[in-house]
Amino acid sequence: MKSVTSDTRVILICSGKGGVGKTTLTANLGISLASKGSPTAVLDADFGLRNLDLLLGLENRIVYTAQEVLEEKCRLDQALVKHKQEPNLSLLPAGNPRMLEWLKPEDMKRIVEMLSNEFEYVLIDCPAGVEDGFKNAVAASKEAIIVTNPEISAVRDADRVIGLLNSNGVKPIQLVLNRVRPKMMESQEMLSIEDVTDILALPLLGLVLEDEQVIVSTNRGEPLTLIGSQSPAARCYSNIASRLQGEEIPLIDPSKEGSGLRDKLRRLMQTKIF
Amino acid sequence: MSNSTRKIKLTLSESHGKNWLNELSLNIKSINSDSIHLNCKGLKLTCKDIKYIKSLFLKEKINLLSIESTNAESIVSASALGIQTFLKLKEEADNYAEESATISEREQIKSKIFFHQGTLRSGEILEVDHDVLILGDVNPGAIVIAGGNVKIWGRLLGIAHAGKDGDSHAKITALQLRPVQLRISDKIARGPSEKPDEGFAEEAKIEKGIIVIKPARTN
Repeated sequence: MKSVTSDTRVILICSGKGGVGKTTLTANLGISLASKGSPTAVLDADFGLRNLDLLLGLENRIVYTAQEVLEEKCRLDQALVKHKQEPNLSLLPAGNPRMLEWLKPEDMKRIVEMLSNEFEYVLIDCPAGVEDGFKNAVAASKEAIIVTNPEISAVRDADRVIGLLNSNGVKPIQLVLNRVRPKMMESQEMLSIEDVTDILALPLLGLVLEDEQVIVSTNRGEPLTLIGSQSPAARCYSNIASRLQGEEIPLIDPSKEGSGLRDKLRRLMQTKIF
Repeated sequence: MSNSTRKIKLTLSESHGKNWLNELSLNIKSINSDSIHLNCKGLKLTCKDIKYIKSLFLKEKINLLSIESTNAESIVSASALGIQTFLKLKEEADNYAEESATISEREQIKSKIFFHQGTLRSGEILEVDHDVLILGDVNPGAIVIAGGNVKIWGRLLGIAHAGKDGDSHAKITALQLRPVQLRISDKIARGPSEKPDEGFAEEAKIEKGIIVIKPARTN
């Protein structure tokens, strides 16, 4: 199998531990990159528990999946689901969970190679864990973003995954610290940013602040970055996308977050009085 | 080409004492590059030596980019000074150089110490039959097991087991000793709960049947 030669950036979004925000990051990053003008594909590699389609609100528009593409029952462009509001973004949905039984790393590579011909960015939403699903996804990736939360179990799992990525020659690997609560960090009830970067020794691509709006948007199937939300997490996601494209944007300082007048006003407006 | 980086090699054998210094000062004038990768082969260089080499290069306005060596101590010294290092394994090096050491000597060097460059991450297990020197951290969740001593040029945050085959004189040394668990021979100890003072290397060994942690001695 020949390797991908185009300069498409194939980025694996993984964490090891489940529930830290891989899929949410994939969806929001996909929308952000697409809205900045880069044709972007998001590939759901989590065949067992797929839900990238839900987050993007595309569940009801799926006809074919990666499975049919691999079996050559349909063309790639038939399986790709283009996002209505953000036409630069396409989703290649995961097939049914039984795909796991026969899917090989080579199959994954083939899909990514096909996507690379048409897109500038290919984001792969990696399944949790370090078993076959993870190995398949890693085989097809060139670089990676590790998502972790400031808690000890997530950091431990991330560390394990970084070791595996290193031995598979995936680089660069960058870090996104998700669900940061500035107040808890300040009172040292939560691992600090330094604690995490100290252990993982990776460049920090960005922080994402804990934000209730993420839950709302997930349930609605509208990623925060799509609806132009100015909520804290939305700004963080969009910053991460910009940094990925090479712009230099300083990291937010969690200790200053939420103390400004604007933030206070916004919070007041979001509070439901009735 | 003033911007090019070239490789020069020190080919003097270890037995000639400080002769490499003469050779270096002779060669240094003929380098027409502003940065350099230095290959020191099996030469054992101390921090002092490397500092001196660096200052020699600086005088000629040459930037010392990295040091390559087959000698673990040279690598550690260079790393301590913040210079990028590359460890070449003995066998690898032999492919392009004639070593004066006989085969039996070489075997001895090889069996004395196992060298690992890079951080051991969670889930990774490094097991060797002899001494082990790690240049990098041992993260929580990682395990180092050695037949002899464990030396870590970095932080020990995971589990270390020295003297796995029953050598109760084995020691565990690290720049920062904050392990989850320590094992020496058949003794097991939990790591200290309080953080040690930073900047002092510490070692763990068996004294009167229990594992104790003390500031590391230089010998």
